[in-house]
Amino acid sequence: MSTGIFDSVQHAFHFDSLVWHGPIALYLFLLGLSAGAAMLAVVLKRWILPRNNETLNNRASENGLIRATAIIAPASILLSLVILIQHLTMPLTFWRLIIYYNFTSVMSIGVMLLQLYSVVLALWMALLFRHELDQLIDRWMPGRIKNIYPRVMQSVAKFENTLEWLLLGIAISLGAYTGFLLAELKTYPLLNNPILPLLFFFSGLSSGVAGVMLLGVTVFKARLDAASTHWLHKLERPVILCEALALAALFSLLFYIGGRSEVAALAAIGGGFWSGVFWLGIVGLGLLTPLMLQTFTPAEARQRVSFVVLLTSCSLSGVLMLRYFILYAGQMTVY
Amino acid sequence: MSCSRRKFIASGCALVLGTGLANIPLVQSMTINGKRYAMLHDESKCIGCTACMDACRETNLVPEGVSRLEIIRSEPQGEYPDANYSFFRKSCQHCDNPPCVEVCPSGASFRDEETGIVDVNPDKCVGCQYCVAACPYQVRFIHPEKNTPDKCNFCRDTNLAQGKLPACVSACPTQALIFGDANDPASAISQQIATKPTYRNKVPLGTDPQLFRIADRNGDLPS
Ligand code: SF4
Ligand code: SF4
Ligand code: SF4
Repeated sequence: MSTGIFDSVQHAFHFDSLVWHGPIALYLFLLGLSAGAAMLAVVLKRWILPRNNETLNNRASENGLIRATAIIAPASILLSLVILIQHLTMPLTFWRLIIYYNFTSVMSIGVMLLQLYSVVLALWMALLFRHELDQLIDRWMPGRIKNIYPRVMQSVAKFENTLEWLLLGIAISLGAYTGFLLAELKTYPLLNNPILPLLFFFSGLSSGVAGVMLLGVTVFKARLDAASTHWLHKLERPVILCEALALAALFSLLFYIGGRSEVAALAAIGGGFWSGVFWLGIVGLGLLTPLMLQTFTPAEARQRVSFVVLLTSCSLSGVLMLRYFILYAGQMTVY
Repeated sequence: MSCSRRKFIASGCALVLGTGLANIPLVQSMTINGKRYAMLHDESKCIGCTACMDACRETNLVPEGVSRLEIIRSEPQGEYPDANYSFFRKSCQHCDNPPCVEVCPSGASFRDEETGIVDVNPDKCVGCQYCVAACPYQVRFIHPEKNTPDKCNFCRDTNLAQGKLPACVSACPTQALIFGDANDPASAISQQIATKPTYRNKVPLGTDPQLFRIADRNGDLPS
């Protein structure tokens, strides 16, 4: 019995048609998380905080949620790149990706997007935390830099509006890119379909909402009764619903197409290790639990930090499992 | 020369036959100029001796544990001792519309316009394995010594470069493998394709594979 379970788990992670392993799932998760957090950062700063007069001294950087995005977006993109490069069979040749391009390759387009994203994100963050940055530069930098710095910041500041829209656009594309990367693979019917980018976009956004909320209310002490926190809290349900809808659409499509697509769908959710992950982890823990918690918990209890921690942990682990599930179960069945 | 192969075959045939063009099976290829190398595996002649596999390994220095070419034996058809087997060649199909080339982020996987051969340039490769995952025929592997993807390249840098036939083709004792220029209507492979019922693997995926097969008379016809 125990060897039976061991074998089935072994088989779930090692099979002939498997090319991309676990680190790619982690890479896609972190990328989605970063893109989701960046989208929220722009929306919060541009529309939500000013609307509710929450910006002290006109500084969005004081807001706990914004601070959370400022950690999550850059940190997870950096980590994801390290993981991606680690996963190459020749990690030291990664620079070739920046030198050579192929416009028919989704991955190559992703590399361009990632570079643009890093630059735009860094510039926009610098503007957002300008006050803090001013102090840092003043304290630690040599005179030459101190002299150039204000002029540089002034010219960057002229483009603040453009940078904001650009960041929003790139973050949305990056969220979808994580899905397009796998959807390109004609080999695997479960992956090779147009719903996957949509699913990954919504689940990335969902992880962004949960991650920013979690870090915001715990580490950065965002007030639970603040209008911005309230707004983010209210966003959770529709985003999770969209994610669930996309997941349902994906499998409906596979069954509708029939043939190998149906075989792939059945192999993924109709029994075995990955179907357990799907039904218990993704559907049960990641989608239904947060939805139920939101709907049936009394209002006072929902205002507790512990409630937020529980809820966001559920959806974050759901999204992480979704990435592993799609990657592994997706590669199980070939045309 | 600015005449497509289709037109070329059509006019050539028109000269020879005069009429009845519509009945001639024409194989379309993206290549307009130059050669379009292709291969034919005659499964009705194949005896499954795997001499081709050994020859490929030897000529192209393919390490043990990986292979550019496999001959896959079917389930037995009929009862022992009268059981029959058919044999399926698993190797790069040199697709005219190769997914491996389309997805490669650095252009390391490429299709040589002169010959139609799909090959890998290790000097551009980063080892992301996107091409390995994208090949619907699952013929790519990571070369354990080079650390880059490898697969059949029609002996482009070995036998073909020396003006010889691919190793697997010359090794075959029953001449079940035919290699040649599908753009040349007079070549043996074009003749075979024009006169015999051939099939190709996974055509609905739109890859336009250039590995043709003649089905064994036994058993179900593979797709
Ligand atoms: S068979 Fe695979 S490796 Fe060969 S050209 Fe087609 S997609 Fe590329
Ligand atoms: S492994 Fe090399 S050849 Fe294959 S897609 Fe990546 S860079 Fe291109
Ligand atoms: S053509 Fe050359 S590389 Fe390809 S299978 Fe035959 S011997 Fe191997």
